[in-house]
Amino acid sequence: MSAILERTAAPDPQVKKNYLNADHTLASWLLTTDHKRIAVLYLIGVTVMFFLGSLAAAFVRFELTSPRGQILTHETYNKMFTAHGVIMIFFFLIPAVPAVLGNFLIPMMIGARDLAFPRLNLASWYVWTISAVIVLTGLIMGGVDTGWTFYTPLSSLYSNTQVSLVLVGLFLSGFSSIMTGVNFIATIHKMRAPGMTWFKLPLYVWSHYATSVIIILGTPVVAITLFLVVLERTFRIGIFSPELGGDPVLFQHLFWFYSHPAVYIMVLPAMGVISEVITCFSRRQIFGYRFVAMSSMAIAAIGFLVWGHHMYVSSQSVLQGLIFSLLSFLVAVPSAIKVFNWSLTMWRGSVQFSTPMIYALAFIGLFVIGGLTGLYLAAIDTDVHLTGTYFIVAHFHYVMVGGAILAFLGGIHFWWPKMFGKMYNEFWGRLSAMVIFLGFNFTFFPQFILGYLGMPRRYHVYYFAPEWQFYHVASSLGSTILGIGFLMPAFYLTASLLRKDNVAPANPWGAKGLEWENASSPPVTLNFESQPIVTENPYNYDPIEDTNKVRREAGLPEIPREDPDKEVHH
Amino acid sequence: MATHAHTADPDAPAVYEQFEDIDQQQETYILGMWSFLVTEIMFFGALFLIYSIYRWQYQGDFYIFHKELDYVLGGINTTVLLASSFSVALAVHYAQLKKKRQQLLALGFTLLCAFGFLIIKAIEYGKKFEHSKFPNDTFVWDAAKYGGDPEHARLFFSLYFSMTGLHGLHVLIGILVIGYLMYLIAKDHPVITDYVPTELVGLYWHFVDLVWIFLYPLFYLIPK
Amino acid sequence: MASTPHAHHVTPIPVLLRTFFLLLGLMLLTIFAAQAPYWFPGMFGWMIPYWPLTNAIALAIAIAKAVLVISIFMGVKYTTNLVKLYAIGGFVWFLLLYVMLVDYVSRPWEPVRGWEAVPSSGLPRSKESDGGVPYPQFPAPKGKDGHEAGSH
Repeated sequence: MSAILERTAAPDPQVKKNYLNADHTLASWLLTTDHKRIAVLYLIGVTVMFFLGSLAAAFVRFELTSPRGQILTHETYNKMFTAHGVIMIFFFLIPAVPAVLGNFLIPMMIGARDLAFPRLNLASWYVWTISAVIVLTGLIMGGVDTGWTFYTPLSSLYSNTQVSLVLVGLFLSGFSSIMTGVNFIATIHKMRAPGMTWFKLPLYVWSHYATSVIIILGTPVVAITLFLVVLERTFRIGIFSPELGGDPVLFQHLFWFYSHPAVYIMVLPAMGVISEVITCFSRRQIFGYRFVAMSSMAIAAIGFLVWGHHMYVSSQSVLQGLIFSLLSFLVAVPSAIKVFNWSLTMWRGSVQFSTPMIYALAFIGLFVIGGLTGLYLAAIDTDVHLTGTYFIVAHFHYVMVGGAILAFLGGIHFWWPKMFGKMYNEFWGRLSAMVIFLGFNFTFFPQFILGYLGMPRRYHVYYFAPEWQFYHVASSLGSTILGIGFLMPAFYLTASLLRKDNVAPANPWGAKGLEWENASSPPVTLNFESQPIVTENPYNYDPIEDTNKVRREAGLPEIPREDPDKEVHH
Repeated sequence: MATHAHTADPDAPAVYEQFEDIDQQQETYILGMWSFLVTEIMFFGALFLIYSIYRWQYQGDFYIFHKELDYVLGGINTTVLLASSFSVALAVHYAQLKKKRQQLLALGFTLLCAFGFLIIKAIEYGKKFEHSKFPNDTFVWDAAKYGGDPEHARLFFSLYFSMTGLHGLHVLIGILVIGYLMYLIAKDHPVITDYVPTELVGLYWHFVDLVWIFLYPLFYLIPK
Repeated sequence: MASTPHAHHVTPIPVLLRTFFLLLGLMLLTIFAAQAPYWFPGMFGWMIPYWPLTNAIALAIAIAKAVLVISIFMGVKYTTNLVKLYAIGGFVWFLLLYVMLVDYVSRPWEPVRGWEAVPSSGLPRSKESDGGVPYPQFPAPKGKDGHEAGSH
């Protein structure tokens, strides 16, 4: 049958009902309580915010190609990097993995029909959307020039920009993530399928549990802090402003009490994605399951005790600085446990370099660089030199872009067949993954050097050191490549939805897990046709059997099994 | 979302489609409510921390400022809230025993107490506004007459208004929630065949009471 | 799964009533304790300041009241261990915020000379009052966006 005939043929009556084609009206999407549809709604919103944030970043990078700036005034530049930070952190990184992939996958991975509170889940999307609209309104109607950290007293007394409006938006977006966190906690505790014990949970679920705990413990603190700043602007109550008797360092304490753990809200779910992808494409049992699971919880707990390392030069006491330095080094331990365990998972595995795996490998490498440069910043004396320079900018971009965004993209590719029932183009997938990896390093590695040389962040001119232009131009060129890399998935993933000849099977990767083995692609509205019962460990892969299957098909001799504990081929 | 009765018994509570049985549903709701209350603890917790830091630094001044507050009115308000907390516990008790009339009476008494609390609070706020103690541009603290640093006075009243104000907001939300619950009970809504909605509202209301239990000694009863 | 009629713990009214009166009693106690005198005589005729103790008493009474409300009214005493974990965990994490007090306690310990001399007006320091350390001077930009970085 020719391709043309196939495309013009009447719709196949065999097409199964699934969550996407269950209902086609707009109301059925906007009033849905199905966690999978809400995930798709979040995916659209998060993608829009990502490209808006990237646009602001593009202006920043273009401005910095000349030592005297290109097109922006001081004020506009301040507003531009603030817009970039606010949009990317609060509206992309924090909701990206939990609200899109977490919403879609957690009920499926634990064998539940939906999240515990489906209407709360929908409400969280609406609150998120309203808060995004409020913040974007604020950013368009005048912008904010305080940086995403909103340090007082600049934000509370001096800034004449739309700080109040944006802070109200962020306050609301905090409620949206609290709703998601409460939902995940109740779901993971109470909705697991029969046989799904805590140590049979996929590591993805563990990392989301840790994330949810951080969300419910941290977000309210920053919400009330930002709200007090709004009150301070409105009524001039003087809690954070020295002119009114308050203490600006207290604002920084409370802000970073949330905003440092927020880094783990962004990166822990990403680590969950990596655990799933690495095991699947190495065809291996995860190395040290309990260590990886518990390191998520350890990161959540220790991550709450390191906020002071943002304030070494903010006149917090030296004693507190010492304590926080020690604790900040401590948080490297569980992160390193994860990295080592992923590396050992690949050892003697049957590694396939498919698109999600390229993203996962890129994640590990970039996360290691981001994490190790974090140690320079955890040590007080090097931090005094590096704080407020491009070294910091490079460090957190390595963790946030190289970590969280690459893992998000890897996860989107990995579960794309499950979410939409369509296979994307593998060639374009691999190409874009490698372009992103290249462009990313090209963009942010020069910034480490710049920061070490002393280029301060949030400056749009550096005429006092024109020799830095080389690194800035390199970085800006790299960001162009990065931008092209980010645009490519938008095109070929959309194209995969429009094509008809790329229907995905239920389990295209041969992956383990309830969402792959017990549900169709895309899943039906209540996820499973029958209640799954869990008997196996989550990563029960067999690399030898998988390799032999390929070798048998190619007519090659099979690899004999050496492990006496396993079934022996005679 | 469609609910379906799980058993043939018409009095049996409805089970939502994502749950297996009523036990799982009830436990999930109570756990969800508690994890929400944890966020509330941290929400007020940040304010209590700010209060503690400033109180620790300016204990003597705070003693002077707190005389502006009327601890008798505060005490009456405490009693009112404790009574409402008791009556909400009663409402949960009657909800579990499916005694609709008593449950409505207990919730009605809670609502009455909540309004009483807000009225007394409004009287207190009114006095503060009269005496220019609201920390905006009209704020006045006569240091020569009463002693104490005017900047610290501004801080104290900032904290007073933001903490009691946020608490008052929670009371207001509580009134709406209790009112809606009473409406559902009066209408015999199927959700109410379960005691859990009443229990959740009760948990929220007890938390509001809990915050006030700490606010009262911290603001109205500062020792010299 | 068969859903058998499940017996939840129903707190009896006398228990609730007793808790309520205990709470009222504790409230009166805390009002009474706050009226205590400032100094009280200690050993060897020393006068010991009373307020730390009064603060501690007020806080202890508040915590006792909170424990009563949480365990009886909110029924944490009768629920699952998981709910107990969340209820207790919330308060433990709230106490974690108090790590910030380390900063406030230890800030005065720092022997940084000259900090006292900084005027507390909150205004930016001028070069004259800055102890003679001039700000670094850079060549001014060619005023691309209408702003001169310096007048030199």
